[in-house]
Amino acid sequence: MGRAIVVTSGKGGVGKTTVSANLGTALAQLGHSVVLIDADIGLRNLDVVMGLENRIVFHVVDAIRGKCAVQKALIKDRRMENLWLLPASQTDDKDAVTPEEMRSLVNELKQMHDFVIIDCPAGIEMGFKNAIAGADEAIVVATPEVSSIRDADRVVGLLAAADVPARLIVNRINAALVKKGDMLSQADVIEILALELLGAVPMDDQIVATTNKGVPAVLEVTTKSLAAKELQRIAKKLAGHEVEAPATSIGFFTRIGRALGLAASPA
Amino acid sequence: MWSNIKNMFTAKSSASAAKGRLHLVLAHDRSGLEGGRLQAMREEIAAVIAKYVAIDAEAVEIQIETRSRAAQLTLSTPIQPRNA
Ligand SMILES: Nc1ncnc2c1ncn2[C@@H]1O[C@H](COP(=O)(O)OP(=O)(O)O)[C@@H](O)[C@H]1O
Ligand SMILES: [Mg+2]
Repeated sequence: MGRAIVVTSGKGGVGKTTVSANLGTALAQLGHSVVLIDADIGLRNLDVVMGLENRIVFHVVDAIRGKCAVQKALIKDRRMENLWLLPASQTDDKDAVTPEEMRSLVNELKQMHDFVIIDCPAGIEMGFKNAIAGADEAIVVATPEVSSIRDADRVVGLLAAADVPARLIVNRINAALVKKGDMLSQADVIEILALELLGAVPMDDQIVATTNKGVPAVLEVTTKSLAAKELQRIAKKLAGHEVEAPATSIGFFTRIGRALGLAASPA
Repeated sequence: MWSNIKNMFTAKSSASAAKGRLHLVLAHDRSGLEGGRLQAMREEIAAVIAKYVAIDAEAVEIQIETRSRAAQLTLSTPIQPRNA
């Protein structure tokens, strides 16, 4: 029986789709069998971020409506042995499916795969409720900004109410700005949200470049790929492997802060 | 010179401004109490206190803050000396 993990944030544009695509691919690199579900019905994106947009025949609403078998709606990623995408429908509304339907779909996929990664839409309405319905655990993605953290806090409250345990990824950190005191550090974000940190992903131009090409950054890791390496480290941690401390090269005081932040136990 | 050094340590970075604002905003969000309603409550409570002890209603301070996801409400006020 696999694990279903929803990637959520409240606010849009903070990196949910990027994190879903890269964690899913990195888990497949580790040898796990992974299905990515795009739960952003009406505004699908995970297909283009994965570079699989030209191969879509059926989508998640077709699978739920029984228009095709669930297996038929999955797109096999040819770059990997064990990675599939279940795309969102672009023509339906977010309320085309119910939480119960999503839960049974996710449960069916969990029978055959190690990980089901659900890319959640922005907002806290129907699309959010559908996306978290079948999830065993959640990853909350936040950028170190007031509006993102505020929205993440709402989502943390809703996840707690739904009994879905959550961990945090801080995305788009700019170490130089943190050092100057012009950006919140990951320790600040951990302290404010009182969540366990899974990882801190730096702002990295390579994410933009690989996304342009429809290639998850973890498939093109070089020595300079700071974000992709951190995403691979997070995937290992998710899968329960031993991992090193985060690799980001930031200052001494920030590291102390982080150590303190890490020591704080989640509420 | 001393004030320069002091400034160096107390000058607010934009990150600490963000943190301070977040603590306040989240305290309101988590408790479901808007800033304006909090002030209305402050005035009502001050009126109640004034029935029992001499206080300056203007000096009553109300504060809501968060500690690890739980919101804490604090109200404080100086009490005026009896013969003042
Ligand atoms: N760590 C990062 N460094 C640089 N750009 C990033 C990073 N994470 C995400 N992005 C970019 O930010 C934008 C929004 O990301 P996306 O994953 O689509 O967010 P969401 O799914 O939350 O709306 C995209 O253009 C993406 O390429
Ligand atoms: Mg998205």
